[in-house]
Amino acid sequence: MNICIAGEAGDGVRGAGIILGKIFGELGYSVFVYQEYQSTIRGGHNSSVVRASEKEISSHSYYYNVLICLRAHVFEKHAERLRGVLICDSSFNLAHEMKVEFPIDETVKKLNLPDISRNIAAISVFCKSFGIDAELVENVIRESFGDNRNIETVRTVYENLDVSVSQIRRVGERKELVSGAEAIARGMLDAGLKFYYAYPMTPASQILHFLAAERKCIALQPESEIAAIMMAIGSAFGGERAAVGTSGGGFALMSESISLAAMAEIPVLIILAQRSGPSTGMATYTAQQDLYFALNPAHGEFPLIVASPVTIEDSYRLAGELLNLAWKFQTPAILLTEKHITESYKTAGLAGVVRREVHVFREKNGEVFRRYEITESGISPYAIPPAVVKANSNEHDEYGFTTDDAEIATMMYAKRMRKEKEIAKVVAELEPCIEIRNGNDWIVTWGSNFGAVKEVAEELGFSVAAVRFMRPLFLPKINGEVFCVECNYTGLLAKLLEAEGLKVKRILRWDGRPFTPEEIREGIERWSE
Amino acid sequence: MVRISWCPGCGNFGILRAFKEASGRMISEGYDVVISSGIGCHGKITDYINLPSFHVIHGRVPPFLTGLKLANPELIAVGFSGDGDGLNEGLEHLVHAARRNTDITIILHNNGVFGLTTGQVTATSPKGRKGKSTPYGNPEYPINPCRLMLASGASFVARVFAGDHKKMAEVFYRAMKHRGFSFVEVLQPCVTFNNFWDLRKDVFWVERAGSVYEAMQKCENIRACGIFYAEDKETYEDAVWRSTF
Repeated sequence: MNICIAGEAGDGVRGAGIILGKIFGELGYSVFVYQEYQSTIRGGHNSSVVRASEKEISSHSYYYNVLICLRAHVFEKHAERLRGVLICDSSFNLAHEMKVEFPIDETVKKLNLPDISRNIAAISVFCKSFGIDAELVENVIRESFGDNRNIETVRTVYENLDVSVSQIRRVGERKELVSGAEAIARGMLDAGLKFYYAYPMTPASQILHFLAAERKCIALQPESEIAAIMMAIGSAFGGERAAVGTSGGGFALMSESISLAAMAEIPVLIILAQRSGPSTGMATYTAQQDLYFALNPAHGEFPLIVASPVTIEDSYRLAGELLNLAWKFQTPAILLTEKHITESYKTAGLAGVVRREVHVFREKNGEVFRRYEITESGISPYAIPPAVVKANSNEHDEYGFTTDDAEIATMMYAKRMRKEKEIAKVVAELEPCIEIRNGNDWIVTWGSNFGAVKEVAEELGFSVAAVRFMRPLFLPKINGEVFCVECNYTGLLAKLLEAEGLKVKRILRWDGRPFTPEEIREGIERWSE
Repeated sequence: MVRISWCPGCGNFGILRAFKEASGRMISEGYDVVISSGIGCHGKITDYINLPSFHVIHGRVPPFLTGLKLANPELIAVGFSGDGDGLNEGLEHLVHAARRNTDITIILHNNGVFGLTTGQVTATSPKGRKGKSTPYGNPEYPINPCRLMLASGASFVARVFAGDHKKMAEVFYRAMKHRGFSFVEVLQPCVTFNNFWDLRKDVFWVERAGSVYEAMQKCENIRACGIFYAEDKETYEDAVWRSTF
């Protein structure tokens, strides 16, 4: 079942989507919620697509079974996708055959509630028409708002609406609904995150909001993205696990400090949540345009770990994994994700990430610590103040003192670079590329497209490869016909596959919208025309 | 330790000697001191002092120290910066660190010139000054670092002359002891590109002001030295830890 709630900014569309998602989660469904909104605080056009299924899903669908309109004018934008029931205010006079109407506006006004409560009234209309128990709805609303304000709304709708469209039944145990941002935050916390620094930037801000409210680590908003990553480097030099989060523009500002972290061998995790660019682009829309930027984020050569999660659960696992890897290898790691992960919601169980310990020397004995000891693996012992540890942005000797000696530089540079081999060995064991075999031909993808791709592949008999680790890069070893699905213009992953000698048929979009299974199917069909 | 590569007669030697004395006092009192430096001639100082250190990138000493101090509030965190490093590239960080009252000390080596890149003007170079990048005269007005820091909310603001060892060592010590954001501007002659050792006979000492406004007036004359202002207020680290846990 795929339900769209549409309205203006300020109508509580996003909140309504989350509440409806939670209601389906309570009933044991697998739920995915896609939030589409404009960079506007009031007016404009927002929608929230809630999909619920008895099967495990990680995407919404193109066509709607139900459309809930909080404003009359948004109907037109969505009418083409509607294949079922329209729910709206009785006063809207919208032309659609199957309709459930209710005096939503009037009800909210009579109850002396603010206009935004129309979202709860509309959801109540849906729930009543589809036979969902009022008590369950009330509980979800109470839990979400922390008060009883909207309970009257639910009751009024349930008492006055006598329509039954269909009967949604419980299909299993309660499932928790989480956002990608929360999953990333929880993954980092479980891996021992102590400090999170971020300058507000969509679509990464919700990680900061979650961590600031959660109070399980120190979450701060510094003056800029440069300050954010420098503070993270400071905290890591002080011995605590730190991370930063941003989108493309802020990531650009972090570039020089990423190079510093690599040179001084300081672990730092950077969450890069992509949105549509270039420049300010479409600030609230998804994209996969920054793959090469993440792979080559700064000047100089240095070991770097880049991975991209394919689902919300995966973003929990990889965020934790990358923080652990950054500390194991004392180098920056980048979680390359998208608005379609961070700001979407899914029923998911988040567990399994643990903090893997790294030995840290902190004893002071007056002697300068041999922090950058040349080792075969490239990994040297980690030390923090008050031990006399000397870190440096300049090339340095084993003790951290500045040098331009050719022989030392040769050895020290190579020591750092040797870590890449060690990283590759470890990453090889972490399912760096997901491969699901269904047939001879393949759909290859990365990031959030995975959910939609997987469904289409199952239906049409394709094998699926989803690249999770981009650096070190693990491409699938495949042959046959290859489609590549990405949210960018040139096919950034496709080009990497072509460099391996594969012939790739691209299915691309760069309009800021994520793929639905229907659109991928169409993309494949277009290639056979 | 590595061989010192500053020009003979550089004002940095005085800063190094005074800081070693002041930090020695702190260490003998049981404190753990950590230092950091940015990019420029001043930045080499971390190599010359036997303390934990991080020579970071241009202009970014304050946020680095802020993150370090948050992670380990027990440390005495001291940053060395230059007029180019602190007032050209990294200006915003100084302002925000002062505003937050982060408990760190910034020692700003002010020589009025980019020395390590061979003599371009900085934010403290006087209007009209000829340099490699301004062969026909600097078109910009200079900034007064102490006044900027006072206006930004710094809770300890001082200026010293690099040739005045005794006063400099004392001010460094007091800046480190001060709980809150401490800013010390050192007038540091650059013998190669901006030699103002002559200033020795012109600098004068002023007493601490009773208010920020009075302090701003006192520091107006760039020859005036002294601890212009000091006050106690909650530090950033205390506020963050208190509100989070």
